[in-house]
Amino acid sequence: MKKISKKNRMAYATIAIIFAVYLTVMIGTIRIFNHEESVILNSQFPENSEEYLRQNLGFHDVLFQLKSRSDLIIGEKMIQGVYITDERLIEKQFSYEESNADPVNAFYQEYVIPTYLILVPSASEIYESTLPANALNTNQAKLIKAVYADTETGIRCVDAYHILSSLKDSYIYYRTDSHWTSYGAYYVYQSAIQKMGFTPVSYQNYVISHLSTDFRGDLYQKTLYDTVRSDVLDWYTYEKGSKITDVQVIFQDGTVRRRSDIYDKSALESENMYQFYTGEPCQKMIIKTDLDNDKKLLLYKDDYADCMIPFLVQHYSEICVINLEQTGCNFQSVTDPSEYTQAMFLCSVRNWQDIFQ
Amino acid sequence: MQIASLTFVLIVLPVLLLIYYLIPDKARQGFLVLSCFLLYSWGNPVRVLYPSAFLCYDYGTGLLLDKVRKNRIASIGIVCFSVLIQIVAMSYIRNTAQENEFFPFGIAIYTLQGLGYLIGVFRKHHAPAVNFITLALYLLFFPSLFAGGLFSYTEFSKQNKNKNLNIISLSDGLSLFIRGLAEKVVLADTFGYIFRELQQIAPENMSMLTAWLMTIIFSMYLYFELLGYSEMARGLGRCFGYELPKNFSHPFFTPSMTAFMKSYNITLVLWFETNFRRLLFRKYSDKYIYYTGFVLTWVFIGAWYGIRLKFILWGFLIGAVLLNEKLFLEKIIKKQYIAGIVYTALLSQFLWVLFFSNNLTEAAAYWKVMFGFGNSILDQTGIYFLVSYIALILSGFYIATDQFRNITERLSVSDFGQKIMNFMPLFHGILLIFCLASMLYGDQYERLWLWM
Repeated sequence: MKKISKKNRMAYATIAIIFAVYLTVMIGTIRIFNHEESVILNSQFPENSEEYLRQNLGFHDVLFQLKSRSDLIIGEKMIQGVYITDERLIEKQFSYEESNADPVNAFYQEYVIPTYLILVPSASEIYESTLPANALNTNQAKLIKAVYADTETGIRCVDAYHILSSLKDSYIYYRTDSHWTSYGAYYVYQSAIQKMGFTPVSYQNYVISHLSTDFRGDLYQKTLYDTVRSDVLDWYTYEKGSKITDVQVIFQDGTVRRRSDIYDKSALESENMYQFYTGEPCQKMIIKTDLDNDKKLLLYKDDYADCMIPFLVQHYSEICVINLEQTGCNFQSVTDPSEYTQAMFLCSVRNWQDIFQ
Repeated sequence: MQIASLTFVLIVLPVLLLIYYLIPDKARQGFLVLSCFLLYSWGNPVRVLYPSAFLCYDYGTGLLLDKVRKNRIASIGIVCFSVLIQIVAMSYIRNTAQENEFFPFGIAIYTLQGLGYLIGVFRKHHAPAVNFITLALYLLFFPSLFAGGLFSYTEFSKQNKNKNLNIISLSDGLSLFIRGLAEKVVLADTFGYIFRELQQIAPENMSMLTAWLMTIIFSMYLYFELLGYSEMARGLGRCFGYELPKNFSHPFFTPSMTAFMKSYNITLVLWFETNFRRLLFRKYSDKYIYYTGFVLTWVFIGAWYGIRLKFILWGFLIGAVLLNEKLFLEKIIKKQYIAGIVYTALLSQFLWVLFFSNNLTEAAAYWKVMFGFGNSILDQTGIYFLVSYIALILSGFYIATDQFRNITERLSVSDFGQKIMNFMPLFHGILLIFCLASMLYGDQYERLWLWM
């Protein structure tokens, strides 16, 4: 008789504890649910419920960190595909795929306008020595070399890898974001624009203001790993330089929006502060400046280029920016390249591989 | 719907349980069938069509078989036709799974249960179901369908008449469900993730160490995936008052392949034994026919995992190995326990390669590396993975062996152990928190075994 009652006691205790855990999490979830506009009530509930719960589960951050930190304790070196090092978060980049310069070559053969190619390595190449020992990592320097060697004569390539690796002790990559900083972009711009026949605006001319000293980028959002210091988001302004007169933004679905500037200050309030530089991703963006020259640049780019565009606008009366991530291999169909005097391909190695496989 | 998902665990299951325990016993069967249909059609109602159609077919055919039972030839004809049509339909739907929106979950298990039911009627193991709802519940019972583990109709109808529902079965069921969930989302998902990482390396670029790590991690992944689902199923079954059979009993570190396969996906092997081998080959005393039947059973089990050459080869090899053990090796293995364990571990690892390779050429490439004919024995990648995951692999091994199961049994004997057992409720609470945390991580890889 006594034994049965003990069994019952244990059963009640088990159910009570499970219920307590459940209730706590659900109360947390419902609290968020009231707090925000929710998608859970709309008609797509069955399909989206999992994603919704995943993002808005009560105590999301605590639970996520519980999982990721305990993984790190038992020996895992990365969280969600991001290597954790003392100094910074580094996105894992690994594939055996080879790359070539076919897209640029095809473009150059068809339009024969001066074409420039810049492939930007990511932090996992520049800071390879800080990665966990023997970690899987693509040799991007080799890959860039192979692509550059494959280009038609006439296409000019900018060796961003050597510029960046010589600056490796400076603040050229964000610690918590997968992009390079404006500082890193500036030095590559300096070298590129000389090749393109202009004199770069000297570094001293820029006034640098900190937009945020507590910028936590996309890698932080992915890993919620807060031991790495947060970043500084800088804004380079050149008072005497040319001014932007008109920005036309064309989205993939065809909507057109006009803005007076390339910057998007509202991004600073959002999670994705890096979008400050050109706003939310769009397919095409036509930037006109008050410069009175006939130089027009056609820029095929990925999101790495966003923080370089402010430097480039100092030299052109018009820049047409095409987002390779949205056009994919169809990049030529979005605009008529023959209207432009120069073309530039500016892309990170990873996106180059992803887009043109 | 996916059972190891936040939606199921946090929303669907609590609602189902609450209603189930509140309504009178008479209504429970109907309610369960309704919820099975709901879960089946979750997000894509057309999925109900396939199981509903074959449910009606099985119901009608069951009654028909009972009517014509005096006419031997007619009943054999009906059974053969049913087997043929269901297997063809299942193979077609499974092979077009990618683009097929009719693709229901658990289709392979569903088909086997349906055929098992018909063959059972044919062999007079049980009477055909008169109540349509009862048969619907048997065939669609969501814990076993979504999660693996076959259930015989005799057993089911016995349990269905008097369900065991009380506070102890509910708490046992929930605890078991949580343990199964942990095996799936904490262990299997992590192993699966590492496996996908390793899969990015082509066999030509692999060292012997990496290749071995890869198969070991795959075997752990597959084991915990299947085990986790079947434990969840058993837990859910208990919550609803049914006791589903055990599908795994610690196969790793067994002294022979026979013992290994006997404790791996038990109900599946049993199904093929009863409904295939014993049905077709029991009459013949000739030993060569017996051998053929034995190997053929394994070929079909392999084909059940997927109608691909590699699975069929896997089944054939397993069949051959088991037959060999039966005929020659058994006596040696009995004496050499340790050697037996090593032999089983190595051989089973070699055979798992067939499961994860895309084709036979790729499997051959992996085997070559595993035998040491790759480009190196050790490489940096292998060392990186070994260092990163050795703790996880060892704990996975430990949990997969008999030793782990014995812990609770040993504990309940001693006084001190009894005290520790008092913390089991708390342990399950913490485990649930870990499961939720792991589920937040999301799908990092496609679920390879979804079709089961």
